[in-house]
Order: sequence, then C-alpha cells, then structure tokens
Amino acid sequence: MAAAAVDGRGRLMPTDLPARVVARQFAELEPRAWFRLGAGDAPLVEVGDRVDPDSPILNRLRHPSVAEAGVRDAAAPEPGARFEAGEALAGRGRGALHFDGPGRVLYRTPGNRLRAAVARHREVILSPVAGVVEAVGRGGVEIRCEGIGLRAAFAVGDPSHGSLVIVVDGPDAEMPPTRVDVRGAGAVLVAGARVDVETITRARAIGVRGMIVGGMIGKDLRDMAASLARQEAALHASPPFTLVVLDGYGKRAIPEAHWECLVAAAGSDVGLCADPPMVILDAGQTISSRRPGRVRVTGGEWLGRSGSMVEHLGLRRRPGGLFMDCAYVALAGAPGGAQAQVVEVALADLEQDA
Amino acid sequence: MTQPEAAFFTVDHGTATTAAALFGRLGGRWRLLAAGAVPAGIGTEVLLADLADRARSAEASLLPDDASWENWTRLESTTAPPPPIVLAATSERSLAVLEPAFADAGWRISAHATPDRLDAIAVTEALLAPDLRAVALGAGSADRGALSDLAAVVAAAVARRNDVRVLLCGEAAVAATWFPPAQVTQLPGPDDRSSSGGGALLEIAERLAGEPWSRAGAQPERSARGRAEYRRAVASLAVVLDLRLDGIDIGAAAGARVLAGPAGVERFMVRAEAALLPAPAPDGRDEEQLIDEVVSWSPVRDDGQTVRDRVRNLRLAPWRDAAGDGARLRLAAARAALVRLETAWSAGSPGAGTRGAGAAGSPGTERPAGPVLGASASPDMLVASGGVFAVGPPPVVALALIDAVRRPGAVALVLDHARALAPLGSLEDEADRRRLLADLADDLLLPLGGAILAGGLRPGRKAHLRVESEGASSETILTPGTVQVVDLPPGLLGSVEIFAPDDLWVGVRAKRVRFEMAGGLGGLLVDTRGIPLRLPQHPERRREALDAWQRPLWTAVDA
Repeated sequence: MAAAAVDGRGRLMPTDLPARVVARQFAELEPRAWFRLGAGDAPLVEVGDRVDPDSPILNRLRHPSVAEAGVRDAAAPEPGARFEAGEALAGRGRGALHFDGPGRVLYRTPGNRLRAAVARHREVILSPVAGVVEAVGRGGVEIRCEGIGLRAAFAVGDPSHGSLVIVVDGPDAEMPPTRVDVRGAGAVLVAGARVDVETITRARAIGVRGMIVGGMIGKDLRDMAASLARQEAALHASPPFTLVVLDGYGKRAIPEAHWECLVAAAGSDVGLCADPPMVILDAGQTISSRRPGRVRVTGGEWLGRSGSMVEHLGLRRRPGGLFMDCAYVALAGAPGGAQAQVVEVALADLEQDA
Repeated sequence: MTQPEAAFFTVDHGTATTAAALFGRLGGRWRLLAAGAVPAGIGTEVLLADLADRARSAEASLLPDDASWENWTRLESTTAPPPPIVLAATSERSLAVLEPAFADAGWRISAHATPDRLDAIAVTEALLAPDLRAVALGAGSADRGALSDLAAVVAAAVARRNDVRVLLCGEAAVAATWFPPAQVTQLPGPDDRSSSGGGALLEIAERLAGEPWSRAGAQPERSARGRAEYRRAVASLAVVLDLRLDGIDIGAAAGARVLAGPAGVERFMVRAEAALLPAPAPDGRDEEQLIDEVVSWSPVRDDGQTVRDRVRNLRLAPWRDAAGDGARLRLAAARAALVRLETAWSAGSPGAGTRGAGAAGSPGTERPAGPVLGASASPDMLVASGGVFAVGPPPVVALALIDAVRRPGAVALVLDHARALAPLGSLEDEADRRRLLADLADDLLLPLGGAILAGGLRPGRKAHLRVESEGASSETILTPGTVQVVDLPPGLLGSVEIFAPDDLWVGVRAKRVRFEMAGGLGGLLVDTRGIPLRLPQHPERRREALDAWQRPLWTAVDA
C-alpha cells in the first residue's frame, strides 16, 4: 500500500476506517429532476412522454396576479383548469366569462366568483435533458433523466443546457472576467473554485447558458439572485441561465471526482438542474470509479485537497480544546504548487465518494 | 471481577449527527462505559462497534463475555426536521391562537392565510409544495362567517393533493364536506385552547408532528418522537433528582425546551426557528437576518463575508470544520438559537419578559441581546442537550448558556454529553426510566458549572463575593459588566455570599444574598453584565466585548 510508505512506519490503514468517513454519492444514474409548477403554471407533458433537450415541458406565467369574475349559475371550470386570453370559460356571447390574459383557475368562491391566476405573458420552460416524464401534478413535473447526474450543493436559475467548456486550469483555480468571451455563447462553463458576480453578469450578457463552480461567496449569490429577479421583471425574457455550485459557500475547489468527470465530458452537451441541484452528463460518459481509501478534505486548513488515509489516530486534541476522531492523511501534490505531505485531519472534515 | 450480565446502547438519531452511548452493569448499578457521535451519513453499526471496541480495549471485564455487541439491547430515539404546515384562519385573532400552538408543537409554518391578507396564488403554491405535510384551517365561533371563502381556496388546492392532511380546528369542522373524508382530522379550535399554554390543540398538534408520513412513491418516514422522548426523560429526571429542571435541546433542525419538576412537566415546546440555523420563515427572518444573528454573537475576527459563508456552510454540513474558529462560530450559532428559543418561550410565559421588554424599548447605544425569563420560572438546574454543545470546553458552553438564557439568580448548568436522555425517554415504563436515570444521572449529566446572574450592580459600584468550600475561603470584588470565574471543581459544594452596596436582582432584591452551589468543570460563573444582556450596536465593539468575555475561557484550552 503506497500510503504506508508515505509515513515510513509500515502501518496499514485499518480496514474499517473508510466506514468512519462520510460517503458522498457524487454521481447517480438516471437521476430524477423536478420542475416546479407555480399556481398559474401548466404542464405541457404527460406521464410517459419522452422529452429531449429543448422540448417544452411547462408553461410558466410571468408575474401572475389574481383576477376574478362572476360565474352566476353557469358551470365553471374546475380548479387547475388552464385557459388562454379571451377564452370563454362559462356562458356564451357577450356575457361569457373570460379573462384578459392566459392563466389557470384557482378556485370558485361560495359567492360564485371565479378566481384565477392570470398574467400578461407566458413563457415556455424547456427541458434541459433527455428523459421520460415520470410524474405530472402535485405542483411539478418529474423527469427521469437519461444520463448521469453529478450531485451539487445548491443551484440557482432556470434549467438550461449547453456544450461543456472548461475555462480554468485546475479545480482550485478562479475564473477571471477576462476569460469570458463570445466563444462561450450557448455553452456551460466550468469556472473553478469560485466565480464572482461580475464574471457571471458578463457571461450571461454574451449568452452563456450556465456555470459550474466549486464554491460561491454568499454575497455574490445574493447579488446574482437580485440580478436574475430584475431581468425576470423585464418585458423580454432572457435565455435561461443556471449556476451550479458543487461544494458549498466560499472559495472551494471542485471536488476531484467531479472535476475528472467534467474534464472527460468537455465538449459534450450537459444539462443543469436546480431541483435537485445537479449537472447531467450524457449517458455514455464514463465516470471515474470509486477509489477505496481516497478522501477529500472538506473543512479546515487543508480544505479542497485530496489524498489517502494512512492511519487512524483516534481521539486527538484539536484547536479550541476539542477532542476529535482523527487520521493521518497523505495529501497528494497539486499542479498549483501544493506539495504532497502527510497531515492530521479530523474524520469529520473528510469525505469519500460513495 | 465477575463479568457483567448485560449491556445496552442508547442511540440518538439526529438530523445532522448520530450519537450513541454504551452502558454496562457494574457493582450492582448501570454505568456509562463509552459515548461518541458521528455525522448522520455514517452507519450506526460503525459507531456502536467502535464504542464496544473502546470499552473492551479499556477493560474487557466491563462487558458481557458471551454476547456480541450486535445482540445488546438498543434504546433508540429519532428526530426529524419539523414538518411544514400551512395555517389558514378566519381572523387574525384565530390565527394568533393557532400559530403558537402549531409552532410550539414542532411544525414549521410555511405560509399563513386570513381573509384580510389572502394571497390566493401564494397560498395555492404553498399548498402544492411537495414536502407539505398538512394544512390547518381554524375558525372561532365569532368569525365563522369568513370560513367558506377560505375553505374554498384550500379545498381547491387540496383536491390536487391526496397526501396532505387537513386539520379542521374548532368551528372549521363545518367545512369538512369540502374535503375528502380520509384526509380530514378534527382538532379543538382556537376557543378551546387553555390560557396556560397547554391545551388539547397543542397536544394533538404535537402528536401529529411526530407521526411518520408517507409521500407517494417514497419510503415511509420513521416515527420521529425524539423530542417528546426527551421531554419524558427530563420529566423522569426531575423526579429522580427532586429538582426543577429546564431542559434545552438545540438541534440542527429544531430546538426543544421542557420545564419539569417533581410534580411533572410544567411546559414544553419544540420550535423550528430554534434550530441551529433554521430555514427562513414567511413573515419572519430571511436568510440574511438569520446569519446576522449568528454573526452578532461571533467573537471571530475575520473578513465578514468569510465568516458569513462559514455560517452558511453550517447548514450544508453541520459536522464539518468544527475545530478552532469553527467551534466559536458554532457556539455563536447556538447562542442565536438559544435566544430565539428563549424569546418564543418568554412570549408564552405569563408575567415574563416585562423587564426585558422595558429594557428593549429604552434609548441608548446598546440593545438587549435576549429576553429575560420571569423569576417565577426559575429552575434549579439547566440541562443542555444537542451536538452543538459538544464542540466547546465546559466553561465556554456554560458561558454560551448564560449569555442567552438570562435568568436572575443561581442555577446549576449540566450537559447531556452522551445525548442519552432522549433514547432513555423512549422507555415506555416510567418506573424503568426512573431506575435507569437514578443509576446514570451522575454519568449522563456533565457538570458544566454553576452560574449566578446578578443584575442591578451599578457602574462605579463594587460588590464582594465570598466563596467557602471545604474549610477554604476566597473573596473577590465584583464589578459591573463582567463575568468572573471562581474555581469550584466538580463534586464540591460551596457556600457563595454576595454583599452589595445597593440592591442586587438575583431572583429577589437584596443587598446580601447567599447560595449553596455545586462545582463543575467550568467552576462558578458570576455574571454582573445586566439582565437582559446589552451588547454594543457597533459590530467591532460588540465583537470585542464578546471576545473579552470569552477569551479567558478559551485561552485555558488553547494553551
């Protein structure tokens, strides 16, 4: 075992040590993606339908409001029924019940008023992936994706897809705004350990469809959400954009297993979903196999580094006087200059691929 | 030594971590042999095997010789995130009764609706949320007239959900015909709730919150009665110790509090907002406010955005990054959670909070950091539970507790360090629980220390503190606005006297007071910082004040 040679004491890793480290399932075959329906939204698919990237899956009302009209004694449509602008919902001729915009019936009051979610505009939400519709209703559409889902910590934005482009030199590099150029239009960019709101704004302006990063500063995320909300309020909808954050808040290197998969998938079309947050790779994509004993540091001084467990140390005193279950980890060297070394890490700050 | 005949485990399945403890029977009584905790994603068997190995390697004769650990009895307790519920009431008055009942029972309120502020789109979307567990529709006898309109909007959405429970409270029962009978449960209404804060509605709401829920196409959840079991264990412990106990459990998903005495449980609540870092609430705190609350308790000097991101990461993986500043940030989050729990508790406590409210409204550059509990509710011992308290040394945890729970007078502070109380509460038989707790109380309750909170010491005035224990005596001068630590080790009893030039507020007003206090790992903390605690408004001055109070306690362990 190479790890034993690292510490020079010939010790082997206890066979049960990996069981004491949190296992993160980083990839999933045929993952389920969920697309939420608002009160006025309407599905455009049915259970069993096959969808491809850019297939319409639901109609979303933009900025719906509640409108109401009297239905007198006429039979009114059931709650949930869709209608178009001016469509007669009950009655005939000039007395027919209709609304000025498209929408969906919410309910009928006991006083015979029909209340509906109505908007001036409707937008079509397109599938970011190929797959089969598994469920429709109860507030959403569920699609079983044909592909491999790379799990993420969180994501924001509407679902999108595009050709995957790696624009950083390594998983712990940061992407400067100057690396965004028109070649990124329609693409999904892998942007390294973090990206700032200026870079995102620039990327969206030239038509980038999504970005994948290891971490995101909370303030930048808030600014980006505000920017998305402002753009949504504009008359013309902008193309969908998704930001997928793989590991957490702050600057965090893209996990090794994710990075290898993304590098292998460069140039192919990938889908980005927010619920659950994930990157969906082509089904034919090979993903890195699980390497027993390989761990990644997820907190503390060695955050983002990967390596192999060498020896279980048991309870060790950590800064602050806390006693934590620890192990020696042989960290691998990294292209950025990080040297290989053996360090003591709390098991709670380690993660392995499931 | 003869081999003991039996051993058993307790397992507390929390939402962030799993804690387990191993007990063996030695010398005719049960004793704690080993305890540990792991992130919730790690298998329980790994933890139990580790505990058995540790106990065996320390002293094999402590364990039964012919049974493998897999066969030993397990007392297990599970907590789950508070289930979401939509509250719809026919008047603001009815909503004001429904809301605390469901909030205190451990539900997370995802939306409200009343006829006066009915956003049909928002309510419909909340009712269609995939994780929604129930909708409660309430009406009082005086406002039944508005029921039909409200029932119509709820019924239209529920018609699309066969997995949502409809709870019709009080006069809303007449709306039962609007809903599928299989989904309807009738509850007492706003008019039926007793003023004491108990009440049938609260009890049933609490039972429903712990019931397993089966979402279509998903595995049924496990029954999550951990917080009710915690309450039961604290109540049994109060009888065993013959003390009035204040049990506070801060978890990753919710906080719970129980006040129990030898006569039984006096009050209990489970609050979603008292979680370590709760989800933003409708009409409540948003994400940034929740993080502000944590940061306002943090003594960590770092780039503001870095600190805030570390706090956000607490929600993603609460077990990570727990050493060093990570521990300080966790205890800052624990203080913020304790303050939210204390605020909710005080709001429903008759006669409580009046002093705190007066202070909160007073002008000046400082603001109160938390409410104050009325002296009438003073317990003898504060029992803290929850994984977050495992990250700090005992004096620091003791300080965190008295920072947030500002109760004038003296109290003993203990920690349920093995998180075994809730699993022991899963024992159905009261006599069994008491027998076990009588054996185990000393092992389960880590004595953090004693605390005396004395208000009313004016600037420029000094008080004298005299501590006598085992024939030794020490005298200290108390100055206002400080926390002084007096060495009083675990196992020792001390007689503590305070002489002040003016009346002190220590539950009673007096110039001279005397307490009998038990020692602890953190010694005796004498706090003259005022009740409620006032912190500077300016962020850096506030951080410096917090650091000045905490640094001496951390220094001892950092050295």
